Amino acid sequence: MIDRLCDQAREEDLAVAGLYIDYHAQQEQTVANIMGAILKQLVGRGDIPEYIREAFQKGQMEFGGGGPRLAHLMRMLRIAVASLPQVFICIDALDECLPKNIPDLLVSLRDIVRESPKTRIFLTGRPHVGEDIQRYFSKPVVIPISPSQDDIRDYVEMRLDRDDEPEAMNEDLRADIMRVIQEKISDMYVGTLGVSTLPMVNTY
Amino acid sequence: MDHSTHEQSIGFGDNNANSGNNINSFNTANNGSFNTANNGTVPVGDPLRWLSPLEPVKRHHGLRSHRFEGVGDWLLETSEWREWRGGEGGAGKAVLFCSGNPGVGKTHLR
Repeated sequence: MIDRLCDQAREEDLAVAGLYIDYHAQQEQTVANIMGAILKQLVGRGDIPEYIREAFQKGQMEFGGGGPRLAHLMRMLRIAVASLPQVFICIDALDECLPKNIPDLLVSLRDIVRESPKTRIFLTGRPHVGEDIQRYFSKPVVIPISPSQDDIRDYVEMRLDRDDEPEAMNEDLRADIMRVIQEKISDMYVGTLGVSTLPMVNTY
Repeated sequence: MDHSTHEQSIGFGDNNANSGNNINSFNTANNGSFNTANNGTVPVGDPLRWLSPLEPVKRHHGLRSHRFEGVGDWLLETSEWREWRGGEGGAGKAVLFCSGNPGVGKTHLR
């Protein structure tokens, strides 16, 4: 979806920033680091704005010279967003964030939207984080995602066509594979079906 | 010291695509170097890295290489997407949430 928005960004006046939250990176994916990563995508496209250079120089001279605090980042982010015509922020796998960080993350996103109401936020996550989102955004648009039979069929066909041992395949086997996989899939991860040679399941 | 080689790791998008001259394209590699006038007090370093050590764009490029074209096209056809994308709803309709269990492929929507 980020690429789709980027395609559109080339034609229209909008900026896109995004981040994949990862359970394994919970410790470094603090709210400050996440919002900082959004900010650096927004400001990193041309010359770095003066207010960021100044903040950086001041920050470096402070004892310890660590990264900026969340409140400071949010001030800079609000400026960056307000200076762009429209900003899209995409965050994947909200549920993989440390639970204690989710409220702060959503509050930070809400602050940006309040300041710049045209900002659009694209989130993905397991259904349960919908409740968290609703606590901070009264009317989120919710789209349930489940694998589509068409996508799965196309993908399995593509993988079978690229099989590096085609001599082991015959029409019956191929038909069986197609039939069984499509029968078994409802809302299930394809990787659990024994098709472990599929490196990535590009369903939606 | 001319510190003109800081990491160009920002921005989504292909670096080889036809980006035209749109300033909002994420294709624009950041060639703007951060020249620190070295008067002895100004620090040398990367202000973008200071903002956050995370590198989400690397992960994005990694995922893209595994993606299957056309996946997720349906989403763009939904009224929900159009309504959200259009932005007419203002702050009240700012959030689109794609909800699904692990493995259904939320990450791989193109």
